[in-house]
Amino acid sequence: MGKPFLEVEHLTKVYPGGVRALEDVSFEVARGEFVVVIGLSGSGKSTLLRCINRLVEPTSGRVWVDGVEITALDREGVRRVRREIGMIFQQFNLVKRLPVVTNVLTGRLGYVPGWWSLVNYWPPGLVQQALDALERVGIRDKAYVRADQLSGGQQQRVGIARALMQEPKLILADEPVASLDPATSHSVLRYVEELNRREGITVLCSLHFLSLARRYGTRVLALKEGRLVFDGHPSEIDGRRFREIYGEDAVEVEIA
Amino acid sequence: MRERAWRAVMLVLAAAAFAYGWRVTRIDLGELATKAHLVRPLVRDLLRPELLERVPRVQEVAVPVSLGGGEPPLPPSRGPQVQVSSRAVRVGQEVVVRGEEFEPGRPGRLVWRDATGAPAPLAEFSTDARGGFQLRVRIPDTLGDRGEVVAVVELAQTVWRPSETLRLVAERMVETVFLALMGTAMGVVFAVPLSFLGARNLAYGPVGLAVYGVSRTVLNVFRSVEPLILATVFAVWVGIGPFAGVLALGVHSVASLGKLYSEAIEAIDPGPIEAVEATGASRLQVVRYAVIPQIVPQFIAFTIYRWDINVRMSTVIGFVGGGGIGFLLMQYINLLLWQKAATAVWAITVVVALMDYLSARVRERVT
Repeated sequence: MGKPFLEVEHLTKVYPGGVRALEDVSFEVARGEFVVVIGLSGSGKSTLLRCINRLVEPTSGRVWVDGVEITALDREGVRRVRREIGMIFQQFNLVKRLPVVTNVLTGRLGYVPGWWSLVNYWPPGLVQQALDALERVGIRDKAYVRADQLSGGQQQRVGIARALMQEPKLILADEPVASLDPATSHSVLRYVEELNRREGITVLCSLHFLSLARRYGTRVLALKEGRLVFDGHPSEIDGRRFREIYGEDAVEVEIA
Repeated sequence: MRERAWRAVMLVLAAAAFAYGWRVTRIDLGELATKAHLVRPLVRDLLRPELLERVPRVQEVAVPVSLGGGEPPLPPSRGPQVQVSSRAVRVGQEVVVRGEEFEPGRPGRLVWRDATGAPAPLAEFSTDARGGFQLRVRIPDTLGDRGEVVAVVELAQTVWRPSETLRLVAERMVETVFLALMGTAMGVVFAVPLSFLGARNLAYGPVGLAVYGVSRTVLNVFRSVEPLILATVFAVWVGIGPFAGVLALGVHSVASLGKLYSEAIEAIDPGPIEAVEATGASRLQVVRYAVIPQIVPQFIAFTIYRWDINVRMSTVIGFVGGGGIGFLLMQYINLLLWQKAATAVWAITVVVALMDYLSARVRERVT
């Protein structure tokens, strides 16, 4: 086997102002896993994901992705490694005034010369690739619509197509369905699951609902107040574990 | 108890302050009534701007003559005819001018028009019962080696046409709108880069923060200088005229647009920036794809709004030598030509209202 695909070692993040978002978190992820990160709001899920592509600078600890020590890279190195790490966001984070296809194409910015971007030039091959990515998430017909004209579920599929455009080895999904209704949540997660199964892309996905974690995760990590309190198979989370993670008063909500 | 005493003291102090203010500013409401007769003619004239004037229709015939050369060719003419006894003349020579087929029994005048087109009166006459006249005139001292003898006969009919004042005001008004446009454009050119440097959310690291601080300071300093003072300075620098106005409005626009722009940048959604950064895009690409699309509507709206303000401001700027309509208005006021001043005032009102309306419509469309 050799080294694991993703390795996080003693990761700690203290925000200016003293909030300790992550406290000595360590884990390993093998290639092709679908890892779901659960925990209450403020438990450090977003910070954990952002430390992996260094949108947030860790205070201490180390992160390796596919043999590269992310935490040791300079700015240019971070930029290069980010090209292969797709990210999906709770608020979709599309550029609302740009057409859908341009939003998808931005997934490729790390590979194109800067002056192409100044004149908004994209070679036909890339445009075709973007259209294919939209085809895969079922909204090819929306390619030339402004992004803000789309429904939430459609916008998130654009977000997935943008990540897909990067041809990523790893996808970080930060609460990708927290702004969506249950039915749409499933359709969005199924696209992510498909990428994981068919392309073997490793997925690290934070979710609110345990039921979704059970349904999609091959493994669950639970964070509580910045500490890793559970690491195992979804089926191992029983009532006692659940209360440990979510607190004594929590009741599990099923999401259909 | 203490609080009540305190309140009483404050009341007395406030009353004293207003009483003193009333005295030093010499407020006398009675004067508004007793001296109303002084302002009445002015108000009346302001309500009667010189817009159109009634002028008699004329029959006009021009005959070219040369000084010290051969007889110039005579253009063919129909209708009234004019003959000059000699068309190769020298200064001071007497010539006989005969006209025929003009309107009978109407007043007319003979005019000498030199090579530059400047007129000089030669004589006045009345046409006879058959519409003819005959006059002996002397060729005046003149510029150039040619000129024209022009006969103008006024008809009984009159026509309305825009007054001389209205034409002059319109010309200056156009100048003002373009003065404001150029000033705004100058503002945009410098404000756009400054606004990116002066946006808190785009300032990374200690260097970025230092640049941010400097840009903000520059903007604040420029903004605190009144455009009137700027116009005065530039009028001394480049001379009185619209260019001084452009520079004054330009400098002021850099500051105010720069601040508005950078606030627009600071108000954008950070999500798309994060998303585009996460794809491995460079700083420049992040600005191009995540920042600019978000700010374009506001930038357009602010720019048009600024143009609108600059049109308004340029009328005042003109008073201190910034050219445009304001300069003309000031001259009319200084010469107590209230009706002409009224024409300018109304023109400003109309154009400002129009700009206001149009800019509001455009801003509605883009946001």
